[in-house]
Amino acid sequence: MSFRKSALSTFVASTLVASAMLPSGCGPSQDSAEVSLSGSGASFPSPLYTTWFGEYRKAHPTVRIDYTSKGSSGGIKDVMEGVVDFGASDAAMTDAELEEVARLRGRGVRMLPMTAGAVVIVYNLAGVSGLRIPRETLASIYLGEITRWDDPRLVAANPDIALPDLAITEVHRADGSGTTYAFTNHLASISDAWANGPGVTTSPNWPAEGGIGAKKNDGVAAMVKQTPGAIGYVELSFANQSGLPTALLQNRAGKFVPAAIPNIQAALAGTELPANLRLFLPDPAGADSYPIVTYTWLLAYESYPAAKLAALQEVLKWCLTDGQRFSERLGYAPLPDAVASRVIEVVGSLHAE
Amino acid sequence: MMTTDVESPPRAEAPSDPAGTPVDRPRLEHDLRAARSVFSGGFTVLCALLSLIAAFPLFGVLYMLIERGAARLSWSTLVELPPSAIQTEGGGFGNALAGTVFMVLIAGLIAVPAGVFAAVFLAEFGKDRPLAAAIRFGAKVLTGMPSIIAGIFGYALVVLTTGSFSAYAGGVALSILMLPIVTLTAEQAIRAVPAKMKEAAVGMGATPTQVVWRVTLPTAMPSILTGVMLAVARAAGETAPLLFTAQFTYFALRVDRLENAPSLAVLIYEFSGSPYEHQIALAWSASLVLVLLVLVFNLGGQLLARRNELARTR
Repeated sequence: MSFRKSALSTFVASTLVASAMLPSGCGPSQDSAEVSLSGSGASFPSPLYTTWFGEYRKAHPTVRIDYTSKGSSGGIKDVMEGVVDFGASDAAMTDAELEEVARLRGRGVRMLPMTAGAVVIVYNLAGVSGLRIPRETLASIYLGEITRWDDPRLVAANPDIALPDLAITEVHRADGSGTTYAFTNHLASISDAWANGPGVTTSPNWPAEGGIGAKKNDGVAAMVKQTPGAIGYVELSFANQSGLPTALLQNRAGKFVPAAIPNIQAALAGTELPANLRLFLPDPAGADSYPIVTYTWLLAYESYPAAKLAALQEVLKWCLTDGQRFSERLGYAPLPDAVASRVIEVVGSLHAE
Repeated sequence: MMTTDVESPPRAEAPSDPAGTPVDRPRLEHDLRAARSVFSGGFTVLCALLSLIAAFPLFGVLYMLIERGAARLSWSTLVELPPSAIQTEGGGFGNALAGTVFMVLIAGLIAVPAGVFAAVFLAEFGKDRPLAAAIRFGAKVLTGMPSIIAGIFGYALVVLTTGSFSAYAGGVALSILMLPIVTLTAEQAIRAVPAKMKEAAVGMGATPTQVVWRVTLPTAMPSILTGVMLAVARAAGETAPLLFTAQFTYFALRVDRLENAPSLAVLIYEFSGSPYEHQIALAWSASLVLVLLVLVFNLGGQLLARRNELARTR
């Protein structure tokens, strides 16, 4: 029965090896003064949030902030259940959701715009760059009324480009998404047919025939990349990183603008935030404004235990001031100073339990 | 039957026939053109082809992972913390590796004792009772349960009661996935212990407890460990339950506090959907490490099973 002993010793040995591996990943046990906060929600600002919290921890080793990107609705649900210290959402929260949290958790939620980003149109047409898409035309493509790239309406807007005789394959998000919300919000404001049809939602019924659903931003980017004639919408950083060409969109002033940070900032400039800081910009005014722009909100409770409150207020103030310098590099627009100071005011009004 | 079957060779008559009629002997040569030879040969080739196709995904995945993931693999990827989006080089998944090992360890500490003792009951004491049948049925249903359900269970049981995501909640969720595998394989292992050994022990005056503890369990141990290894391999690769219970963190695993815990599976999930090339590359490397980890545990399980068989036939 010697095999029995050797089998047991194999198991013991592997357990020992496994536990010996642990310390390599566990940091040294820090003092108990460490404050840890955890948040979850929108995937849209996740690269920026995790960069912020990583950089902040370098300067403040006693504050640890974890962020898990699981989608805006997941973040709102976690805030309702009270299992996170903050949430994040691209669609802010509805009044009904805000009341629900106050009822369930006994403390309200403040919606804090942390950064702004753009939804951009990417396409796959060999050799075509700088495509211009007029307002009605964009809605018509997604409504399925324009099905070919050499449609007269597209040709008229792009006299310098030889558009191919190719079917348009519309690509959209298969999962419920804040990016989709911002996109449909814009479509509804430029097209009555869209407003009365699919409407403004995180997962509409896509009317265009032969459209393809893809999972998350990277899924849409990959699908567009491998499908000649495809058109899709993704957030700016995904478009930049994927190397796909982006379309110039026509803003309310009638001008065709690229999805560049200055144009996003132009869209934010001069907007007035309401008291609850929830403002959507479905069709911003201004000659240089990029038309599909959205804030993204961090969802903080109105009150916290003292230690957590101090840490959260500090880190949020840092994100809204020093942290804004990371935005541009990652494809987000730094908040206008006026907006940032309004948000900092609200951060200051959070109070201890 | 025999008389109507024209295909089967006629039986050799006993050579006692006095009339000297030619003896009909069985034909031993094999006609390759005969329909059934062609049929048999064709099916053999088909089976070989189909089994190659069945093996293809594993080797295809391994090849792809090695091709895309091996480049970034180094000691520092195995120990460093994950890189943020602006950190375009360096970084690793040391915390996630530790998190996966720790959570699987917690899951094992829950599932192995519970599963083995349930198996002892099923195989030795409860055998044909309705309760045993119910437990066995439950375990079988549990093996087919979507893993996300285990996540929701862990969320409701641990996350909502403690008010925080944690490595421990992750461990509990993973233990739900390990439990039925351990129980069912351990029951088979215990049933395979020869009755003679147990009878001998009883004959020497051992109590039922002593029989189980000193004879049955030690003899069945290698097979039980095979099941444990398979369960570990299953649990290590699960993403959905951990998204609900442990979430993710870019920072080190802390086991002394209830906080988000990192894991390889969730790191792959997060980074594979990132726009940034270095995070995507890291997701490939992490996939390779995870597959190797699972492979090692599977091979370990197989090895134990084989040694067990050898020992038994000896």
